[in-house]
Amino acid sequence: MATAQTTAQTTPPRSDGIEPTVYHPREGGQGSALDIRNFNLWYGETQALHDTTIDVQKGLVTALIGPSGCGKSTLLRSLNRMNDLVDGLRVSGEVKVDGFDIYGPGVDVIALRKRMGMVFQKPNPFAMSIYDNVTYPLRVDGITKKSILDDTVERALRAAALWDEARDRLYTSALGMSGGQQQRLCIARAVASDPEVLLMDEPCSALDPIATAKIENLIADLRGQYSIVIVTHSMSQAARVSDNTAFMYLGRIIEYGATDTVFTTPKVARTNDYVTGRFG
Amino acid sequence: MSVSQEHDIPASGVTGLAGIAAREATQQTPRGRRVRRFSADLSAVGEPALWAFGGALALGIILIAGFLAMIAWNGFATFWPKPVERVELTSGEVLAGVPTRGGPYRPGAAVLDQLDAETRAAIAANDGFAHRTLYQTANFDLYGDDFRWVSDFEVAGITRPDDFFYIERQQWGVFIGRIVGLEVDGAAVEITPDRLAREHRAARQRFAAIRGLERGDIGRINALIERERLAIRRAEIRLGEESPEAQASIAESQARIAELQAEFETLQARASAIRAEDRTTRITLEEVNGRQVETEFSQIVRFFPANTLSLTEKIGIYLSRWWEFVSAEPREANTQGGVLPAIFGTVAMTLLMVVFVAPFGVITALYLREYAKQGRLTSIIRISVNNLAGVPSIVYGVFGLGFFAYAMGGTIDQVFFPEALPNPTFGKGGILWASLTLALLTVPVVIVATEEALSAVPRSMREGSLACGASKWQTIRYIVLPKAMPGIMTGMILAMARGAGEVAPLMLVGVVKLAPALPVDGIAPFIHLDRSFMHLGFHIFDVGFQSRNSEAGIPMVFVTTVLLLTLIITMNASAIYIRNRLKRKYASGEF
Ligand SMILES: Nc1ncnc2c1ncn2[C@@H]1O[C@H](COP(=O)(O)OP(=O)(O)OP(=O)(O)O)[C@@H](O)[C@H]1O
Ligand SMILES: [Mg+2]
Repeated sequence: MATAQTTAQTTPPRSDGIEPTVYHPREGGQGSALDIRNFNLWYGETQALHDTTIDVQKGLVTALIGPSGCGKSTLLRSLNRMNDLVDGLRVSGEVKVDGFDIYGPGVDVIALRKRMGMVFQKPNPFAMSIYDNVTYPLRVDGITKKSILDDTVERALRAAALWDEARDRLYTSALGMSGGQQQRLCIARAVASDPEVLLMDEPCSALDPIATAKIENLIADLRGQYSIVIVTHSMSQAARVSDNTAFMYLGRIIEYGATDTVFTTPKVARTNDYVTGRFG
Repeated sequence: MSVSQEHDIPASGVTGLAGIAAREATQQTPRGRRVRRFSADLSAVGEPALWAFGGALALGIILIAGFLAMIAWNGFATFWPKPVERVELTSGEVLAGVPTRGGPYRPGAAVLDQLDAETRAAIAANDGFAHRTLYQTANFDLYGDDFRWVSDFEVAGITRPDDFFYIERQQWGVFIGRIVGLEVDGAAVEITPDRLAREHRAARQRFAAIRGLERGDIGRINALIERERLAIRRAEIRLGEESPEAQASIAESQARIAELQAEFETLQARASAIRAEDRTTRITLEEVNGRQVETEFSQIVRFFPANTLSLTEKIGIYLSRWWEFVSAEPREANTQGGVLPAIFGTVAMTLLMVVFVAPFGVITALYLREYAKQGRLTSIIRISVNNLAGVPSIVYGVFGLGFFAYAMGGTIDQVFFPEALPNPTFGKGGILWASLTLALLTVPVVIVATEEALSAVPRSMREGSLACGASKWQTIRYIVLPKAMPGIMTGMILAMARGAGEVAPLMLVGVVKLAPALPVDGIAPFIHLDRSFMHLGFHIFDVGFQSRNSEAGIPMVFVTTVLLLTLIITMNASAIYIRNRLKRKYASGEF
C-alpha cells in the first residue's frame, strides 16, 4: 500500500491535462473476472466513457462510485452489453471475460448475459408468480424439468435470503411483495442461472434502511461465490460491502483501489473531495 | 482541498435552512395583498372556463341520455299489446284499428269546405289546426293499406269492443277483426278460447313440421344434388367429357343423384301429407265492416282479444313477441317476425373480423414498434396508418368489392370452382369478404392501440428479461405482450365496436336484405364463408326506408336499434371484462 501511495504522488501530470488513473486494487487471488481495457463508449456524438481500464477481481466485490452522470451505469451496462439497446451506440477497446472480448465478432450476447446476472436500481419483478420469476432464466433456456426448476428456486431464494418469507407463497404474484422483497427476488432471479458475475446498479436506492441492511448482508454472503460489481451512491455502503472501489468522474476512472484506502487515504485529491462529500 | 475543511458542509447547510425560513417570513405580508389583486382580474380566474367545460360536458351527457331514452322508449314500447278501437265516423263509415300516434295538422281548403260551420270555427280558432290520429287498420289484403289518418272532427264515436282480435298472420301482416268461424277436420266447431288455443298449438306444430321438412331436410337434399351436379361438371372439365375416368365419376354422381331424388320424393310426400291435413283446420276472420277472410289456422302466428287482456296476459304477449323477434326469421318484407339471421350475421361477421384484424394488426404493430428501425420510413407508415382511419368507409366497400370479391374471389372461382361458372361462388359479396373489408377498415385502430400499449411497457421489464439471457423474441413473447395485452384488448374493443356498427361498406360486399341461408348450417363443410348474410345495421336501413310501407317499419327500426345497441354493448362488455381480468393479473404492484 505504501508503494501504491508513492506511485500516485509521483505520477507527473500528462501533457493533455488529463490525470492518469491511479491503481492500487486488492488482489482476489483467483485472477480477474472481467478485464476492461481502454474502453471508450459514445452515445451518438457524446463520449460517455473515456479510456476506461479496470481489472475486476474474481470473487471480490467491486464498487463503482462517482457523481451523478459520470458513467457508472454506462460502464456497468457495458459489461453485459445491455447498452446494445441504445440507438447510435459506439464502443472501442475491449472487455474480456475469460480471455475473450465480449465486443469481439461472433459473440453470442444471449450466452454472455446468461453468465452475468444483473440487478437494477428499481426492483423489476415480472408480472408472474414468484416461482416463475426465479425460474425465468432457466425457462428461456428451455429447461422444463420440474425437479431442476424446484431445486433452483430453493437455492436461489436461499441465496437471496428470501426463502423463509417466500416458501409459502411461491405461486402467488411477485407483484404482491414489498419493495425490499421484490429486490431480493430480483437478486434471486439474477443468481438463478448461476452466473459468474453479478452486476448491481444501485440495488438499495429504493429501499429503507432495514431492507438495505438485508441486501448488504446478502452481498457479504454472496462474496466469494460470485464476482460482484456494484454501483452505489452511498459512500458508507461502498465502504461496508466492497473490497475494491473505482471512483469515476466525467466518464473517466480517476482512482481504482482497495476500498479502505480509497475511503481513508485516497491517492488523488478529487477522490478525497468526493468521499468527504465536498462535491458530487 | 484537505480533509480539515469538512465541517464547512454542515455549517453551510444550516445557513441555507435559515435563509429559506427568512425568505418565507418576508413573503407573509405581500401575499395578503396579492389575493385581492387576483380577484379583480377575471381572465386570471378559472371559473368562466370551468363553467364552459362543465356546460359542454352536461350538454353532451344530456344529448346522449336523450338519445338513449328515445331509442329505449320507442323500442321497448313497440311490443306492448295495445287496445283496438272501433271508430264510427260522421260520414257513417266504420273502421277498427290501433291508434299509433297523433298530432296537429292544417286541413286543406277542400277538406274545410265540407265541414259544418261549427267545426270550421273551432279549427279557425285554433289557428287553422286540427288534431288527427293514425290508426293501424291492418288487413292489408282487404284495404290495400295498413294505416289510416282519422281527424278528430270526423269521429262520431269510439268504442272498444270485447270481441275484436289482434291477429298476426304469417302472410299479409296483421288482421284486426273478429273470429267468426273455426273448422276442424272439415267440420265447423264451436269457438271457445280453449278450443282456439288448443287447435292453434296443433296447427303451429304442423306448420313447424312442414317448415322443418322443406327448409331443413329438403333443402339439404337439394344442396347435395346441386353438389353432385357440380361434381359432374367438374369431372367433365377436369378429365375431358369423353375420358373413361370422367364417365365413371359421372355415372357415380348420377347414381347418387337418383338416390337423393328418391329420398327427396319421400320427404316431399311426407310434407304434402302434413300440408293436406293442415288444410282441413281453417279459421274465418271478419273485419269491422263484415268482409270475411278464410285461411288455414296454421297461418296465424299469434292472436289475442286486444281489449280484454289482463296485465299478465299482456306481459305474456310482450315477452313472446320479444322472443319471436330474437329467435325467428323475418316475414312480411322484414317488417314482422324476427331478426335471428341478422343477429347471427352481425355476430359472425364481427367475430370473423376480429379473427382477421387481431393477428394482422398486432403483428404489424409489433414489427413497427419493436423491430423496425425508427426513422423517417416508420413515421411515414405511422402517419399513413392514422390517415387510413379517416378514409370514408364506403371507399373500403368499393375496395372490398373490387379487390376481394372480384379480383381475389374471381380468381378463386376460376381455380377452384370452375364447374359453377358463370355463377360466382366467391366472386361476389360474402361474409368472408365483408369481414376482411371491415378488418381492413379497423386495422388502424388496432395498430395504434397496440403500438401505444407496447411503448407503455416499462423499459425496466424488458431489460430485466434481457439481462436474464432471454432473446428479444422471448422477451416480447413472455414479458412485453402479456403486459401490453390489456391495451391491445382495448384496441380490439374499439375495432369491434367500430366494425359492428359499420353498414355502408357492407352493402357493397355481401349484406342482403333477406338471406336464404345462414353462413353456418348442417350441410358440410358447415361454415360457408362465401354466403351473403344479413346484418342488423342494414336491417334498420332496409326496414325503415326500403320497405313497402315505412309506417309499418318504424317500430321495427327502434326495436332493431335497441337490439343492435344491446348486442354491441354486450360484445364490448365481455371484451372489457376479459381485459379487466387480464389487467388485474398483470397489475403492477406498487410498494
Ligand atoms: N441512452 C443514452 N443516450 C444518450 N446519453 C446517455 C444515455 N444514457 C446515459 N447517457 C449519458 O451518459 C452519461 C453517463 O450516464 P450514466 O447513466 O452512466 O450516469 P451514472 O453515473 O449512472 O449517473 P447516476 O448516478 O445519476 O445514475 C450521462 O451524461 C448521460 O446523460
Ligand atoms: Mg446510474
